Amino acid sequence: METMTLLGWAFDGLLGTGLVWLAWRALSSPSLFTAVVLFVAFGLVLALAWVRLDAPDVALAEAAIGAGLTGALLLGALARLHGSSAHKSPGADAVRSRTRVVAWPLAAAATLVVICGLAATLIVITPTAVGLGAEVARNLRASGVSNPVTAVLLNFRGYDTLLETAVVLLALIGARSIGTAIDVASASAPGSPVLETFARFLAPLAILVGGYLLWVGAYAPGGAFQAGAVLAALGVVFALSSRKHGAMPAAEFPLRLVLVLGPAAFVVTAAITLVLRGHLLEYPPVHAGVLIMVLEAAATLSIGATLLALFSGPSFFRNNGR
Amino acid sequence: MTMAAGILYALVGAALFGLGLHALIVKTHLFRKILALNVMGSGTFLMLVGAGSGGIRVLPDAVPQAMVITGIVVAVSATALALTLMLRIAEETGHAELPGERSG
Amino acid sequence: MAPWAEALILLPLVGAMSAFLWPRRAPVIGLVTMALLVVSVAGLSIQVARLGVYRHLVGGWGAPLGIDLYADGLSLLLLAATAVVGAAVSVYGTGYFRGHDAARFWPLWLFLLAALNALFLSRDIFNIYVTLELLGLAAVALTALGGGSDALVGAMRYLLASLLGSLLYLLGVAVLYHGFGAVDIDVLALRVGPSPAVWAALGLMGAGMCLKTALFPLHFWLPPAHASAPAPVSAALSALVVKASFYVLLRMWMEVFGTLAGSAAVVFGLFGGAAVLWGSLQALRQARLKLLVAYSTVAQIGYLFLAFPLGAASGITGWGAAAYLALSHALAKAAMFLAAGNLLRFGGHDRIADLDRVAQRLPLTTGAFALAGVSIMGLPPSGGFAGKWLLLQAALAQGRWEIAVVVIVGGLLAAAYVFRVLGHAFTQAPVPHEAKPVPLHMEWAALLLACGAVLLGFIAPLVLSVLGIGHPFSMGGAGS
Repeated sequence: METMTLLGWAFDGLLGTGLVWLAWRALSSPSLFTAVVLFVAFGLVLALAWVRLDAPDVALAEAAIGAGLTGALLLGALARLHGSSAHKSPGADAVRSRTRVVAWPLAAAATLVVICGLAATLIVITPTAVGLGAEVARNLRASGVSNPVTAVLLNFRGYDTLLETAVVLLALIGARSIGTAIDVASASAPGSPVLETFARFLAPLAILVGGYLLWVGAYAPGGAFQAGAVLAALGVVFALSSRKHGAMPAAEFPLRLVLVLGPAAFVVTAAITLVLRGHLLEYPPVHAGVLIMVLEAAATLSIGATLLALFSGPSFFRNNGR
Repeated sequence: MTMAAGILYALVGAALFGLGLHALIVKTHLFRKILALNVMGSGTFLMLVGAGSGGIRVLPDAVPQAMVITGIVVAVSATALALTLMLRIAEETGHAELPGERSG
Repeated sequence: MAPWAEALILLPLVGAMSAFLWPRRAPVIGLVTMALLVVSVAGLSIQVARLGVYRHLVGGWGAPLGIDLYADGLSLLLLAATAVVGAAVSVYGTGYFRGHDAARFWPLWLFLLAALNALFLSRDIFNIYVTLELLGLAAVALTALGGGSDALVGAMRYLLASLLGSLLYLLGVAVLYHGFGAVDIDVLALRVGPSPAVWAALGLMGAGMCLKTALFPLHFWLPPAHASAPAPVSAALSALVVKASFYVLLRMWMEVFGTLAGSAAVVFGLFGGAAVLWGSLQALRQARLKLLVAYSTVAQIGYLFLAFPLGAASGITGWGAAAYLALSHALAKAAMFLAAGNLLRFGGHDRIADLDRVAQRLPLTTGAFALAGVSIMGLPPSGGFAGKWLLLQAALAQGRWEIAVVVIVGGLLAAAYVFRVLGHAFTQAPVPHEAKPVPLHMEWAALLLACGAVLLGFIAPLVLSVLGIGHPFSMGGAGS
C-alpha cells in the first residue's frame, strides 16, 4: 500500500474536478453534439479514474463500452434526430437548452440535500468498510481463473452475468420492436474510401485485440465484455464506411443464433451443471477454467453482435417495427 | 491507493449523481435526460467502488468492480432502448420531449 | 428434489430465446413455456409445503460469496400469482397479438416472466438489481408495443422513472455492502444494526422502490403507461410488475430494516392513505376506461402501504393483509384490464360513457369486470374483502381508527367508480356502435381471473398458513 504523495493527491484532485466539470458542461451545453463529445471525454477521464482506483477491468469496460459505444449510440441517435423530417427545427434545440424554470430551484434544493446526505454517509462508512475481498481471495484458486474480477463475474456470481447477457439481448429485441436501428451510416452520406481502407487495416488488429482481451481476462485485466465491445466497435467502423447501410442481414437465422449464443451458453451450462453437480453454474474445479473460457467466448460473440446490431440493419420485425 | 483516494472519488460520484439528478428533472429534452441518467449511473458506480477503500485491506475488492462492469453493460443496454424510444417519439410527435414538459 | 425453482427461471429464458429464434412458432413456444411454468410452480408449492423453505446455492458457493435462491411462503404466493396471471395473459395474448405483433410480444413477455420469477426467488440484493433491470426494460418494451404516440410517451416516462428507481436502489446496495460487507439478505440481517448506513440505505432503497411501485406522489408515470399499453400488457404491469418492487421493499423491510426504521413506517402509511384517496378520486373523474382502471391501481397500491405502520405490532395480521391485498389485486386488476381490452376491441374505443349495452352483448366480459370490481371494492366474499378485513382488524386492534376510515372510504369510492362503469355497460350509448367480435378465449381468460380473485376470499386460512412458511414476518434484523 503506497502512501498518498502530494503528487497523487494533486492528480486525483485534478481528475475528480475534471470529471465534475466535464459532466456539468455536458449536461448544460446548449448544443447536443457538444454534449455528446463532452460526455465521451468524461467517459475517458472516468476510465483514468478507474485505473487510479485499482480497477483496470472496469477502466477497460468504461473506455470501450461506457465512453466508446455509448458515445457512438448517442451520436447515431443525434444524427437520426436531426435528420428526421418530422423534426421541425433542426437547429433550434441545438441552440436553446430548455429547462423548466419552475422546477429549477426545487430540484436544486433536492439535489443538494441528496448530495450532502450521500457525502455524509460515504464519509461515515468508508473508513470501516470491509468487503468480500477475503472470501474472493480464499476461493480464487478453486475458481479456475486467477483474475479475481473474472472469477467473480464468471464463477462466484456467474448467475448475475447470466441475467446480464439476457438484459443485453432483451434490450436489442425491445429496441428493434420499437423502431429501426440507430443507423450510423445514413443513406445520404457517401461511403468514404479512406474510412473503408482504415476499416480494412483495423479489422485484423481489432480481432487480435479482442481475442487477446478475451484470453487474458483469465489472469489479467480483460474479459468478455471488453472484448465484445472491441469487436462491436470494429463492426461499427465497417458500418460507417460501407456505402450501403443495412449491411447486416438482420432477420436471418444465423445472426439470431449468434445473438442468443451468449445467454444460451450460460443457460445450457446452468442446466447441465444443475443436473450433474446439483447446483446451477457449479463448475467442476478441474474444468472450471475451460468452462469459463467457453462461456466468455460465447458471451464475447453475442455482445459484439448485439452491440453492433443496435447500429445497423433494418428492424428484426418487418413493417419497421410498427 | 489509499483510503483518501477512494473516498475522493466516491464524493465525486455523489456530486455526479446530484448533477445528473438535477438535469434529469429540469431538462426537458429527452436526449439530455438520457445523458443525465448516464452521468448518474457513472456517479453510482464511482460510489460503489470508491467507498470500499477503507479499512485494513491491501488488495482491491473484486466484487464491487464486477458489479460496476455489470452495471456498465446494463446501462448501455438501457441507453440503447431509451434512444430508440426517443427517436420513435420524435418521429410520431415531431418533438423529442414529453408532452407534459413541452414548455410554451 | 426436483429443480422446480430453477426451472421457473431457466424455462422462460429458454422460451424467450426460442421465440426469438423461431418467430413463427412464437405463440406455441410461449404457451408451452407458460404451461411448464404453471407445473413448476405447482411442484414448488408442494415441495415447500412438505419440506419447508427451499434454498439453492447457485454455483455451490453459498452466501456471502455466491448468490442464493430462496423460496418461502411469501415468495411462493407471488410466484403463484405470476403463474396464474401469466397463464391468463398468455392465453389472452394468443388472441390479441397476431403475426408480426406476436413475434414481438412473446420474447419480451417471456423475458418479463423470467425476470419476475428470478426476482421473487432471489436472496441477494445485487442480483435483485439485475432482475429489476431485466423486468423494467421488458415492461417498457412491452408498453411501447402499443405503437401510438400515447404508448410511446407512456413507455418513455416509465423507462425514465424505472431507471431512476433502479439507480437509487443500487446506491442503497452500495451503502449496505460497504456498511456491512455483504449483499446476501440473510447475512445482512445478522450484521445490520442502527447506523447511518442503514438509514441511508433505507432512504435510497425506499425512494427507489416507491418510485417503481408508483406510490403517491411518485405515481405520475403509471396511469399513462398502464392505460396506453396493449391490454394484456397493462394487465401484467398492474398485476405483477408493480408488485415486484413492492415485494423488494417488503422483503428488505422485513429482513433488514424493519425494527430500525419506525418513522419511515409512518411516512409510508401517510402516503399510502393519500394514494387510496387520490387514486380513487382520480379514477372517478376519468372518461376512458383504461385510465380509470390505471388510477384504480394507484389507489390499490396505497392499501399495501397502509400495512407498514401497523406492521410490527400486528404481525401476520397486518402483513398478511398486505400480501392478501397484493394477491387479490393482482388477479382482479388483471381481469379488469383484460375485460377492458375486450371492450376496447369490441367497440373500437374505451370511452365509459359510450359503452353501448355491452352487458347484453358481452356478458362474459361484463361479468368479469363486475366480479373483479367486487374484489377491488372489498365486498365479501372476495380476496379483496379478506385483505381489507385483515387490515381493519389490525388497525382497530391498535386503535388506528384513521387507517380504518381510509380503508372504508376507499372502498366506497371504489364502489362508486366500479358501478359507474357497470351502469354505462347496461345502457345504450347515444350513438350505437358497430361491434367487432371478441374471441371466446379472451373473454374466458378475463372471467376466470376474476373468479380467482373472488375465490381467494374463500381460502384465507390456507393462504395465511402458506404465508407463514419460513416466518417471513417475524421481523428479523437489528442483529437478532
